[in-house]
Amino acid sequence: MNHFLSFGIDAELCRRVLAVALSRGADDADLYFEHSGSTSVALSDGKVNRASTHVDLGVGVRVVVGDQVGYAYTEDLSEAAMIAAARVAAEIAEGTRRTAPVALAPRAVADRYSAQQPWEQVDLQTRVALVREWERRAFAADARVIRVETSLGDSFKHILIARPDGRLVYDYQPMTRGWVVCTAEAAGKKESSNANLAQRAGLEFYTPERTDRMCRKAVDDTVALFEAVKAPAGEMTVVLGAGSSGILLHEAIGHGLEADFNRKGISIFADRVGQRIAPAGVTVVDDGTLPHARGSINTDDEGNEPQRTVLVDDGILRGFLHDEISARHYGVPVTGSGRRESFRHVVLPRMRSTYMDPGPYSPDEIVQSVKRGIYCADFANGQVQIGAGDFAFYVRRGFLIEDGRLTRPIKDVNLIGNGPDVLATVEMVGNDLKIDEGGWTCGKDGQSVPVSQGMPTVKVSKLSVGGVSA
Amino acid sequence: MNLFDLARQTVEQARRLGAEEASVSVSRSAELSLMRRAGKLEQATQATSRGLSVSLLVDDRFSAHSTSDLRPEALREFLERAVAATRVLEPEVERRQPPAELCGRGVSEATLDCVDAGYADLPVEARREAALALEAAVDALPDRGRILSATMHVGDSSDQSVRVMSNGFEGARASTGFGAGVEITLEEPGGRRPEAMSWYSAHHRGDLPASGFIAKEAWDRAAERLGSHAIASGRYPMLLQRQVAGRILGVLGGPLSGSELHQQRSFLAGRLGTQIANAAFSLTDVPDIPRGLGSRPWDGDALVARTMPVIEAGVLRNYYINTYYGRKLGMAPTTGGRSNWVVKPGARTPEQILRDIPRCIVVTGFLGGNSNGLTGDFSFGVQGLLVEHGEVVEHLSEMNVSGSIEEVLGHLVEPASDVYTWSSLRTPSLFFDAMQFSGS
Repeated sequence: MNHFLSFGIDAELCRRVLAVALSRGADDADLYFEHSGSTSVALSDGKVNRASTHVDLGVGVRVVVGDQVGYAYTEDLSEAAMIAAARVAAEIAEGTRRTAPVALAPRAVADRYSAQQPWEQVDLQTRVALVREWERRAFAADARVIRVETSLGDSFKHILIARPDGRLVYDYQPMTRGWVVCTAEAAGKKESSNANLAQRAGLEFYTPERTDRMCRKAVDDTVALFEAVKAPAGEMTVVLGAGSSGILLHEAIGHGLEADFNRKGISIFADRVGQRIAPAGVTVVDDGTLPHARGSINTDDEGNEPQRTVLVDDGILRGFLHDEISARHYGVPVTGSGRRESFRHVVLPRMRSTYMDPGPYSPDEIVQSVKRGIYCADFANGQVQIGAGDFAFYVRRGFLIEDGRLTRPIKDVNLIGNGPDVLATVEMVGNDLKIDEGGWTCGKDGQSVPVSQGMPTVKVSKLSVGGVSA
Repeated sequence: MNLFDLARQTVEQARRLGAEEASVSVSRSAELSLMRRAGKLEQATQATSRGLSVSLLVDDRFSAHSTSDLRPEALREFLERAVAATRVLEPEVERRQPPAELCGRGVSEATLDCVDAGYADLPVEARREAALALEAAVDALPDRGRILSATMHVGDSSDQSVRVMSNGFEGARASTGFGAGVEITLEEPGGRRPEAMSWYSAHHRGDLPASGFIAKEAWDRAAERLGSHAIASGRYPMLLQRQVAGRILGVLGGPLSGSELHQQRSFLAGRLGTQIANAAFSLTDVPDIPRGLGSRPWDGDALVARTMPVIEAGVLRNYYINTYYGRKLGMAPTTGGRSNWVVKPGARTPEQILRDIPRCIVVTGFLGGNSNGLTGDFSFGVQGLLVEHGEVVEHLSEMNVSGSIEEVLGHLVEPASDVYTWSSLRTPSLFFDAMQFSGS
């Protein structure tokens, strides 16, 4: 709250704007103030040769009538501009009933990602030294490396949410992301790959151990491609490595359980709560509370406390990810999943950190159980069709599995399947759950939000591998 | 607020703070969007927005910045920080602005015709009526009862921007945009709920298709996904529908760019003047198409926009080289990014082509997938139709199409005649004589 005083925003002003938002008889409303900033420095051609900064400031006014939403925003935080935005948003309502907002009182939130060395206090020379160091490590890791690009981005977001029921919730949301892109050449052949790390943290995130892991991964993933062959084609058994294969959960089930799709009846999971959708032993969680995770939040963007939400419990579908509108629709508690990209966007139910709880098997046992299949080690992107349930994810790097052993590396292959079909065929769950530290970003209805994902080693069938016929 | 005044002041202020070069863009926009579902207006968004971006050269060091906080004292602080940040970098003379004589307008605003004069007086009521008309069109569909959910989208926007550069370039642009769309979800036994969307956008409101057309198209596309499944992996001829052709042709974007060439991440390096596609394929960058969705008078460096052949009868003619990468690569700049991409059409309609093919996969949509610009390899999830002699015999899903873009362009034996004009990619449907599909 103190942060916003410098913009002339106080509790009484919020209450006056909320009163206008409610003036046509709406059920509810909120104000979402945001002041954000980011800085990045980038290295290419052996030089730290590019910097950029970005500042954003504004407020979004949302007016809710049942399932209906009126929305307006402005970058001008004068009272007149905010009142004008509230009037526009209020047009969704057509009644005369007037409810007055109660006096606003600040509400404390949990502290999941306070930075020991906040980026606001880190000078640019320190950032420059970091990206140089990453470049040096990448070149040192393998003589075949011919090009390295590195970048470091950090950002902060101050948000303030005001509600007519008196809630006034403030949060400070830091983020940082490091990136290493590497190109290598051997025997006239070139390959390129990259690695990145992201967290809600300050400078302390980049420990020598982590930095080394990122640089090594960029280089190892690149040179591994020299040996890689094209993947086979067709339906086969797939082993997903621990960590970033959480992308499978994100696409196969996560989006389909966002309650807005279910409220509209357009998700394949809409009528399946309480039913078995996966074998026993499969538990899927979407969690807003992991310390420092990229997908974590101290408050959601409606001012609600984020939960650890169990979506699938031992194979049974337990529920959806809710914002207030869908929770009211279903008559259930919110899960603290209401998120938005910025003050320019409406709230939607979104994922935070999605992962599968660990199971009994060692990763080796899982690979050894496969006669012929593929092992997925590194992922790029994914997509889903909510209604049909078909989803896809792109594997940057993996291996063939032949007679229980990882053999030739494979690369650049799209995997496609149907969410419920694939979940039903989870055959083994490993004991090695890992939350990936990569900088994943989820897109929905034109809005991007940071997310995390994690997975133990898992074996599934019923996935179609987009390779080349043998 | 006068946009030019603010841009000029900001350039001057940056120079006073020590920048030897500055380029400033200031923009102002308005947007309105409506969404209807189940007989109600479910969402209405309306806003005006503004922003300023600046790129600086300070002691030959380069940086780029943007802000939406335009209060004078905040802007001054923003600029001071931006200049200070730039000083810690390393110099790169290649970042200097292009010479003034290369910058300017390649086509008049009047010719571009990107502003609908009716926008300013369009009442909110007219937009509400447009959404209602889409809903009425969906309700009038013969199989309305089979629709699980239909969502109607109507939106419009107005953008004004100016750019002022310390090399003397000044320019202003304006455009309006209108969009209309319908999203339909159907249900099939077994619980799958195939969905599809039909969406159109145009600079002029009158250029949008009729509501009935949009509703019917959304229905047809959703119905095409009922009962879909994978068929056996193998090589099939492919007809790539014009609306979705960008997913394959877009693979060329990265490898054609100066940044990827310079970073040695392009499979097209050293290929200028050589055959990279079938002689049936020609692709031209055309910035001056009236009302074109990718039309523009100048490019990202303010270089005069000019028509540029990219691929002529299968031969690679030009890369996308901006000023910076031109200097790095020792090449003359062309332009840094695409405007409208125009693919040369053939003589026959897709129906005429399909009639002669015993068995062909028509790709109607993509799901996921990606490509590797260094090798040109790609792998995309697809939806589509299995067509025999022009007759649809199966609805397809859960399949992938894979290959290398160069191999694929070699198999692009016949563009159809049905050029799509609702996109900056103006392509007809494209027929390939063999592609690698994987399925069951």
